[in-house]
Amino acid sequence: MNGAVAAGALSIRHAGKVYDPEGLNVVALDGVSFDIRSAEFCVVVGPSGCGKTTLLNSIAGFDQLTFGEIYLDGAVLARPNKPPLPGADRIVVFQQGALFPWKTVLWNVSCGPIQQGKANRAAAERQARNLLSRVGLKGIENQYPGSLSGGTKRRVEIVRALMNEPKILLLDEPFRALDALTKSVVQEFLLELYDEIPKTIFFITHDIEEAIFLGDRVVVMTTRPGRVLRTIDVGIDRPRDYRVLTSERFLKLEREVRESIHDEARKAFEAGERELA
Amino acid sequence: MTAVEANISRSMPTRVWRRIARYLTLELFLGIVSIGTIAVLWEFANPLGIPVLSNLPPLSEIVRTSQQLLTSDLYWDGWLLSIRRITSGFLLAQLIGVPIGLLMALHRASFEAAFPIVEILRPIPPVAWIPISILFWPTRELSVIFIVFLGAFWIVLLNTIGGASNVDPNYRRAALSLGSTPRDMFWRIILPATIPSIVTGMAVGMGIAWEMVVAAEMVAGRTGLGYLLWQSLEINAIAQCIICMISIGIAGFLSSEIIRLFGSFVAPWQRMH
Amino acid sequence: MAQVIAPVPTAEIALRSTAPWIIRARRLLRSSRPYYAALGLCMFFGAWFLLVDVFKVWRFRELPGLVPSVKEWLSPDPVYGVSIFTAEYYSHIWASVYRVYSAFISATILGIAIGVLMGWSRVFRGLTFPILEMLRPIPILAWIPLAILLVPGREAPIIGLTFLAAFFVTILNTLLGVRSIDEVYFRAARSLGFSNTAILFHVIVPGALPYIFIGLQIAMGACWFSLVAAEIVSGQAGLGYKVWETYYYVQYETMVIIMATLGLLGYLSSALVRFVGKRLMRWRVRLLAGV
Repeated sequence: MNGAVAAGALSIRHAGKVYDPEGLNVVALDGVSFDIRSAEFCVVVGPSGCGKTTLLNSIAGFDQLTFGEIYLDGAVLARPNKPPLPGADRIVVFQQGALFPWKTVLWNVSCGPIQQGKANRAAAERQARNLLSRVGLKGIENQYPGSLSGGTKRRVEIVRALMNEPKILLLDEPFRALDALTKSVVQEFLLELYDEIPKTIFFITHDIEEAIFLGDRVVVMTTRPGRVLRTIDVGIDRPRDYRVLTSERFLKLEREVRESIHDEARKAFEAGERELA
Repeated sequence: MTAVEANISRSMPTRVWRRIARYLTLELFLGIVSIGTIAVLWEFANPLGIPVLSNLPPLSEIVRTSQQLLTSDLYWDGWLLSIRRITSGFLLAQLIGVPIGLLMALHRASFEAAFPIVEILRPIPPVAWIPISILFWPTRELSVIFIVFLGAFWIVLLNTIGGASNVDPNYRRAALSLGSTPRDMFWRIILPATIPSIVTGMAVGMGIAWEMVVAAEMVAGRTGLGYLLWQSLEINAIAQCIICMISIGIAGFLSSEIIRLFGSFVAPWQRMH
Repeated sequence: MAQVIAPVPTAEIALRSTAPWIIRARRLLRSSRPYYAALGLCMFFGAWFLLVDVFKVWRFRELPGLVPSVKEWLSPDPVYGVSIFTAEYYSHIWASVYRVYSAFISATILGIAIGVLMGWSRVFRGLTFPILEMLRPIPILAWIPLAILLVPGREAPIIGLTFLAAFFVTILNTLLGVRSIDEVYFRAARSLGFSNTAILFHVIVPGALPYIFIGLQIAMGACWFSLVAAEIVSGQAGLGYKVWETYYYVQYETMVIIMATLGLLGYLSSALVRFVGKRLMRWRVRLLAGV
């Protein structure tokens, strides 16, 4: 794994995105700026329409910025006239799940390195089996995603992402569709992985508790047009477990974030906002 | 004023132009290119020696022949007669197919009893029924209508059964908890929920109906668009053949579109595609 | 009274010891399904028998009877020369089957290829879709005269027509299938570094397969449908042709045999397509069962 100090350092400078459906300019992002340090777990939280998915798409390479720049380890990643380019160094775990339903778990997890030409089938499959059993998912290699539970599918997708040794791991509200109990189990799973294999993580969610529980730093965004409202350093020690959820610091932070965000949430509700793209 | 606000303030003419530009898409351009190329190649196929198209009469000749044909009574009579047969056969298929379909969907026993027969009879191509139809029905007209009916019937039946069986159980539960009687349930919940499927069955069935009319008029008719088509085969008139094909195609397309329009009128909550 | 309590097998042991098809068969026999089915069939054949053979009601007297037809079908020395024991029966079957399957397979290969291309490339779709939409409303049977006038030979127009029928349906359903694939799979594939070819084989084709197979079932039906019509017009062998011949020579019992054979072959062909589909999409069966 890459031992360089600056691996996965993200720098967002006045990033903005304007959509133009039917001639009306819709400003999804309006000059967002912040930095993410290498191996930092950064969570962006905000109501519907705050542009967090748009920001993630720009980093991941699915969308183009209208203005501003994003730098990755000093090199330009996204800029207005640069065509977006997805890549395994910024791999995404999607909200609705993107495990290929017509391939086995093993194929799904090992396909990244094989397709990129970094390993042959045998080596990749060996590594995949290894990783799966290390995280407690042994025995499902030959099953299809359709027969897995929601929580297991999410875990497999995270493992698939990690197999590619990305510089940044991008997660787009990945636990949104899980019930509360499964969600806390999978959250702990992610935290354990993060402790073992520290990576820069860019995680977006609308769930305040989740944001503080998981992140080192929480970026709170406003509703459309999306701007940074405030940034909060979580400052809770790792490893964390569910007991953190009732600690004093956690409750204090939660109150802070909720106060900032509640007005935005109400504005979003009244405007009937939905996430774009 | 931020960069974004500067972006937003556009003038009115620009916005109008952008709306128009949305229709002048790549698709339109490519469509014109491809159809135009084929038209040109067709017209000059003979001198250019293009393999398939040179056996056809050039486009201009077809246009000329169509002028003749379109002014003849025979042609428009053909439209009327074919349409009349289609309508009768099609309506019969709806009137008989929809109730039977609903019965089969809602009454388990009828479904179990009738399904094997349906699965045995359905794969027999309606064209193969033509001789039996001629034998059985006293007039030619009736035998043609029967074939049209048969072709459309299976589609209508299958679509109705599919639609009625797949009514979201939550709708039924909601209705029950709101106190509906079985009669309410049928007329207010199940039937309206099945209408989109019935309409789809109608649209597809209409397409099949035109196939049937062509087949049946080949054998048992002495009038109609299908008959004109077959006659062109006998007198070796390729131009007439092509014109009849196009006419039937247009007729089929129009009737399907009318059905879809009717469908969006009857079931406005569902967008047909 | 002594009660012997037999050891109750656990569900697991019971499942392991009986094959799945036996379980299904047992469940089927215990349900009401086969009995109603038998009832329905009896009603149908009974009605046929009574109306045509026995009472000869109204126009039904013109139709061939159930008993003579079945007798003819199963007779080692049939009156009109066609039964399950004669070679002629099978030669007609083979002629039709050969035409249908060669047309179907070529239409499948070409249709899927073009459909995938249309789903993949906006330019290609823009060029081909208008032509397709203009040709599609024309009923397949309406192509017969043109095919006969233009295409030389006897087999070629018939196979060509059957091909055309399956071709349009397959293209359309393949196109729908490709468009139905959720965008997220393409994004995931790109993030994972898939090349265009990899996306084609590992995302597009498997993703579109459900729609493609629905299309293939319809295409199979369309093939039989157009084959019979084409054979009636211009064939000299094959089941469609034979239907017409038997009508012409007043061999109505044989006509019934041929119609029944057509029905059977059509049903088996669709079942074959469905079966192949289920094998290729085992991941789907699990998904639907898991719900």
